[in-house]
Amino acid sequence: MIVRTGLTGAFPRSEALVTATRDLDRGRTSAEAVEELFAKTEEEVVALEHRLGFDDRTAGYLRWSDLFRPFAETWEGFAVGPLTRWLETNTFYRQPILLAPPGRTPGAIAARLPPPLVRSPKTARVLLPGPYSFSVMLDNRSGETESALIHRLGRLLGDEVKELRGRGFATFLFSEPQLVVQPPEGPRAEAVVAGYRAVEAALNGGTSIVWTYGADARPAFPLLDRLPVSVVGVDLAETEVDHLPAGPSRTGLGLGVVDPRTTLPEDPVEVARVVRAAHARRRPSAVWLGPGAPLDLLPWEPATRKLHVLPAVARALSEGSA
Amino acid sequence: MTRGLFPTQEIGSLAKPRWQILGQRSEPLDESAKEELRLWDSRTGFAAEAPEVRDALLGGRPRDASPDAVRDLGALFGLRFLETAGLDRVYDGEARRIEMYEHPIRQMHGFRFGGHVRSFDNKYYLKAAVTDEVRLDRPYHVDEFEFVKAHARAEPKLPVTGPYTLADWSFNEYYLARQPGWKGRAARRAAQQEFVVDLARRAVRPTLSALIYRGCRVIQIDEPAAGTHPDEAAIVVDGFNAATEGLDAEFTMHICYSNYADLLPTLLEAKRCRQWAWEFANRDTPGHDGYEVLKVLAEYGDRRDVGLGAVDVHRDAVEPPEVVADRIRRAAKYLGDPQRIWVNPDCGLRTRSLSVARAKLESVVAGAALARAEIENPRR
Repeated sequence: MIVRTGLTGAFPRSEALVTATRDLDRGRTSAEAVEELFAKTEEEVVALEHRLGFDDRTAGYLRWSDLFRPFAETWEGFAVGPLTRWLETNTFYRQPILLAPPGRTPGAIAARLPPPLVRSPKTARVLLPGPYSFSVMLDNRSGETESALIHRLGRLLGDEVKELRGRGFATFLFSEPQLVVQPPEGPRAEAVVAGYRAVEAALNGGTSIVWTYGADARPAFPLLDRLPVSVVGVDLAETEVDHLPAGPSRTGLGLGVVDPRTTLPEDPVEVARVVRAAHARRRPSAVWLGPGAPLDLLPWEPATRKLHVLPAVARALSEGSA
Repeated sequence: MTRGLFPTQEIGSLAKPRWQILGQRSEPLDESAKEELRLWDSRTGFAAEAPEVRDALLGGRPRDASPDAVRDLGALFGLRFLETAGLDRVYDGEARRIEMYEHPIRQMHGFRFGGHVRSFDNKYYLKAAVTDEVRLDRPYHVDEFEFVKAHARAEPKLPVTGPYTLADWSFNEYYLARQPGWKGRAARRAAQQEFVVDLARRAVRPTLSALIYRGCRVIQIDEPAAGTHPDEAAIVVDGFNAATEGLDAEFTMHICYSNYADLLPTLLEAKRCRQWAWEFANRDTPGHDGYEVLKVLAEYGDRRDVGLGAVDVHRDAVEPPEVVADRIRRAAKYLGDPQRIWVNPDCGLRTRSLSVARAKLESVVAGAALARAEIENPRR
């Protein structure tokens, strides 16, 4: 079994960053001091990812306020809207308000990527909102139909991928909770496929990962299996292994085996058992292990501790198959 | 008690004044903290009620004022700040609490704090894991209520964090570990139910009972997490009902940043709740009527009062009274009954500066007066 490991979303800020960013808001520290701490902490996350043997690096996306903010603040047609609950969590995002058909601002997202990734793009995992989740979670006042918007966002994200490929980035993870929370049907589902075709056309040999979480993935599999992407990830805290459709699967199988909703540590042996069952059922080209949902639902220390489960599971799998 | 139309109330905490933070640490006040104390004393008169504490703080003798005395002055400040803004129902700005989650959890056994979790932007909260059965040494909020009761000039309304929110904002280790097999959604839900009801019976209800015994008549159960998992609305209700079982007080339920329609009609089973105090202004944006959701309550025939969030607590821009009045007007139309409306901020104002918080509260009061005048004197 080919096993790959890595983060699937933002990592929590360290306690030092929590203090520093709070102090910044209260005028008790300087932007320069906070910037210095962000840079240091990003390096710590990269070092952790390296130490744990992850296949690529994220640096934690510690500066991003939420998944959409870099886009809502820099792309054309957007305004930053009201505080809105992020799925079924006690965290919130500013809902992007789309006032006109959206347009990319070249270079804007590259400028928001964590600096360690920009310095080493080949080993970076770029985090992007999936076109469907983006379209569902924004407030669309642009006049575009939902399907047209999904497709347009897919094309724009494809253009983003193309630009980033030109800068040397090769791995792109699309965060797509809504594909399983509210699985699209009919023209909206077709628009999702078309959107990812646009991404595929821009990939040029790169890797695309669609990561779903927030609900049982079973109802979405007819669509997920059609997506022209390299890997489809599901959150095993939400999806029973028995609910995965039988393979062989054309894509890699992403398995969210670390649950950020609880500090209760996962048992690597039990997780390895579940991963083997999932692998036997789907028969994918490779298994991609990661947190089921973004780990920033946890504080820094428990998140760090829980991440150690991933290499332990990989070891258990390799020992079991030897 | 008879009231005019559109009485006003606070919802939660205020930012702690810097003089209180420094004073409680027995640190000398810097010039800005002194200025803050003088400014709000001149506007509300609170410090004149404890001149020896004020003089010790302003005179650079912080050790002459005990941390408890400074904390009392902070509570007095919160009370007068809200009363002089013109609110009908007040509390002390939660001056004695760390915040609404950490404070009650620290009164209980069975929890371990593990670090901060980001709520949004640069806002975080300290999150604990429940690692053992919940136990309470003694009821909490009692001393603070006694102080408020002794000093309040307006009617006190005491906020208590609800059992569902305490559970949802904690990591569930103990109850989840007791669930057999893979810890998927079904296991999480069963563990949550057990945790919430334990919190309600072992911690929240004994506290409510003690408060009511001491004369507390109006209690706001804060359940901001209620909308987090819409399929757990029945657990929210179970927690509320278990926490208030057999108790006689005017209970209200505060929920915010949620899709209220998703919680209905299940939420209506919270039988002892007399008022829904919900956030609306945050979602009232150009082109989107944030109050239209109130139609749902009318559709279900629910006749309880509504605490109407009429100003956004997460933006500094102060809504003019005319905007507040317009929001009240729309809410009255959707509810079909202006008599059932209380007016308040969306949520606690602790993330705003005191000057912004005060301006927003004054706007709440002035906006309510405007709307009241329109209805009581329609020809004017």
